[in-house]
Amino acid sequence: MKSIVGTIFGAMLTLALGAGTAAVERVTVTGEVIDTWCYLSEIMFPLGTAHHQCAIWCAAGGIPVGLLDEDERVYIILSIENDSDNVANPTMLEIQSHQVTVEGEVFERDGITYLTIDKLVNDEGVVNRTADAYGIQPFGE
Amino acid sequence: MKKLLLTALIAALFTLPSTADAAQGWGLINEEIVRFDAKVVDVLCELTGNCPDNCGGGKRQLGLIDASGKLIPVFKNAVAFAGGAAELIDFCGKTVTADGLFTTNRETTIFALQFIREAPDGKWRKANRFLNRWAETNGVAVNSNMAKSWFRNDPRVKALIAAQGKIGLGPGVLPVE
Repeated sequence: MKSIVGTIFGAMLTLALGAGTAAVERVTVTGEVIDTWCYLSEIMFPLGTAHHQCAIWCAAGGIPVGLLDEDERVYIILSIENDSDNVANPTMLEIQSHQVTVEGEVFERDGITYLTIDKLVNDEGVVNRTADAYGIQPFGE
Repeated sequence: MKKLLLTALIAALFTLPSTADAAQGWGLINEEIVRFDAKVVDVLCELTGNCPDNCGGGKRQLGLIDASGKLIPVFKNAVAFAGGAAELIDFCGKTVTADGLFTTNRETTIFALQFIREAPDGKWRKANRFLNRWAETNGVAVNSNMAKSWFRNDPRVKALIAAQGKIGLGPGVLPVE
């Protein structure tokens, strides 16, 4: 009986969500705020102090800002502290390359992970000191 | 000299003219040149139901929903260090033909838009509206050196780099040679 109810519920959920609808999960995530294009395309070294200036350029240019967690999972940030303007968002520019802990909701759809941030719980600033090894990306100054 | 050459190379990568209005390869990892029809949507609206008028008026990340229902966020346009929202906002809710590149890395596929037109037979435009808007906002010609190096000349970027430093550890702090 339990399995039948479960099956029916599962079918109803599938119908309710429909194809392509995102799954939602409440999370607390710690990681580095990143420029998603440079990280995922690997057109240059994309992390920490070496990439800080470029990450600000890209965020100001409207490239999606992301959060890279300790398991190397990339979250595309779609809102921050109830501000849903997510193109060149001032707060996202301010915290580029920072190590942060955030609370929010995760949405998975079509192989991409998205994050809406309710609360910036902790901001450690820039802690990933990569510039001594990699210089300033991409132009060296 | 080396820096000038590198700057010219990156600028050329995003600004070389194309007579065919068709995407060119950028040498990315697992790169695929693609052209497909899709509907322009506000990504946050699509995922959460939080839907302002006109896809947020250019202040929200925009994406494409293809014929299979797949949501494809647009990470990049054809301007150095710039994204896709400025290129897509004029087509909010419309079906377009998108021409560009998929690149797949770290088990994630992302899209860079190079050309766009309203489907089925609108006029092709290069995905460089961002630069027009930046030039207009900052009172310079779109073909000026100021605009070509918009990322170094943007007032907000300059203020932030002045405050945080190029490597984010404070004004004037540079890597140890």
